[in-house]
Formats: sequence, C-alpha cells, structure tokens
Amino acid sequence: MNMKTLATVIVFSTLGIALSAQAHDPKEHMKDAEKPDCAAMKNMDHSKMDMNDPVMQAMMKQCMNDTHHNDSEKDQAQADHQDNEKSSGEQHSEHQH
Amino acid sequence: MSALTTFIKSLVITAVIALVGGGLFLYSGLYPMGADVPHNRLTYWLLETLRERSVARAASDIKVPSDLNAPLRLLAGGADYNDMCAGCHLKPGKTESDFTLGLYPAPPNLTLAGDEHGHEHTGDTENDDEAIKRQFWIIKHGIKASGMPTWAPGHDDERIWNMVAFLKQLPELSPDQYQILTARGQDSEGHGH
Repeated sequence: MNMKTLATVIVFSTLGIALSAQAHDPKEHMKDAEKPDCAAMKNMDHSKMDMNDPVMQAMMKQCMNDTHHNDSEKDQAQADHQDNEKSSGEQHSEHQH
Repeated sequence: MSALTTFIKSLVITAVIALVGGGLFLYSGLYPMGADVPHNRLTYWLLETLRERSVARAASDIKVPSDLNAPLRLLAGGADYNDMCAGCHLKPGKTESDFTLGLYPAPPNLTLAGDEHGHEHTGDTENDDEAIKRQFWIIKHGIKASGMPTWAPGHDDERIWNMVAFLKQLPELSPDQYQILTARGQDSEGHGH
C-alpha cells in the first residue's frame, strides 16, 4: 500500500469517526425546540414546593434562564427602540437646521 | 452396570429425539413470529429470565455517579428523554402510543414507578441502585429483538447518565413539570446538552 492510499484510508476513517461522534447532536433538535412553559409554575401549589427538591431546582434554573433570555430580548428591543427614537430625533433636528 | 448402560442409552435417545424434534419444529415455520401474537408462557419466561439475568450480570460492576440529583443533569437528560424515548416509554398524562400498542414486548411505561411497570425497586436503596445501573446499561447497550436500540453510538456515558438521572424523577413529575424540564428552549446550550 503506497502512502497516498494509506493517507486516503486514514482521512476517510477519521472523517467517519468524526461524523459518527456528531450523531444525534442536540442542535439537530433546536429547530423544533419547544420553550419551557414557565407561566405554569405560577399556578403550582407553592406551599408544596420544596427548594431542596432537585426537580424544583431544575425548574427554577430552566425558568431563570428563560426569564433572563426574555429580559435580554426585552432589553435589546428597548435599546433598539431608544436607538430608533434617537436617530429619528437627530433626523428631526437636522430637518430643523 | 447394565442399569447404568440402559440409563445412558435412554438419555442419549432422549437427547437425539429432542434435538431432531427441535430442529423439525424450527424448520417447520410453525412458531408464530408476528408481534400481534404473544409468546406462550414458557417461551416468555425463558426469554425474560435470560434477559434479566444477562442485564443484571453485565450491569453489576457499573459505578453510579454521586451527583445524579444535580439539576443540570435533569435538564439535559429530560430534553434527550423527550426527543428519544417518550414515543415508546410515554410522558406524564399519556397512557399509550402507537409504539406501546404495537411493540411486543410492550415497552415499559417509565412514568410509572418501578413496581408498577414490573420492576420492584422502589423504597429499597440497594434495589434502587441496581435499578439505576440496569437503566444505564439498557440505554447504553439496548436489548436484542425488543425494539430497544443501543444509544452508545453518538451518546457518551455522561449523556446517558443524564437520562438515568431524569428517569429517577420521571414517575413523580406532573405534565407541567415535565414540559418545563424537557423543553430545550433557547438556553439549552447553557445546560450542557
């Protein structure tokens, strides 16, 4: 087996291993990913909630991330809105000059 | 001495008859192979015992991680369970699917506690530990001719342990809790999926 054939075999087998290692990547599911329905937490019986319960801690974590994400979306939207107002204000003042 | 010879002769003749009979039955095609006709009780017992003994032996040396209750494990394992397992093993609020109705043997309903789906392991720490090892082994290696695939290709041990961590909590989850824990949402990258 010459070096060229050996190199081809190594490249293809490495590629095969790399591709199989990527099988069922969670990113494949992100297109149809459902968002957590954190509003449902408000309807749960808070008196029965145990903060040491791993399920409760996981839900809090999930919804905290979700809230932060929504907050950052809101912040971004507000920032965009302010930028728009600012630029329209500048345009307006330019018109006045 | 002659009694011993007669005994051995009888044993050999019986073994030959059993082998020939078994071979004839095997090749006759008389055994119903469709998933819509259940095994007879003897075959079912033989296969189930074979499976349970094999899994118990193979899983006995598995080391269970100490952090199975970590919230991040539940979130990562929940999302994978929902994508990969819920179709056959159901989710809270669901009692059947096409797979549970059509597969034989029917996949266990993992939203029920162990003793309710045929494995008595609740309330006993040692048995719970055995059940956890058993779940890990089955997810990783699958089970022949049962519809349960091996998830080892493409899923490392940590990812499988995350699913086991989620399975531990699953029988206690309400549909709302299940939805929150299994949604990949926007932040799943941060959950270490």
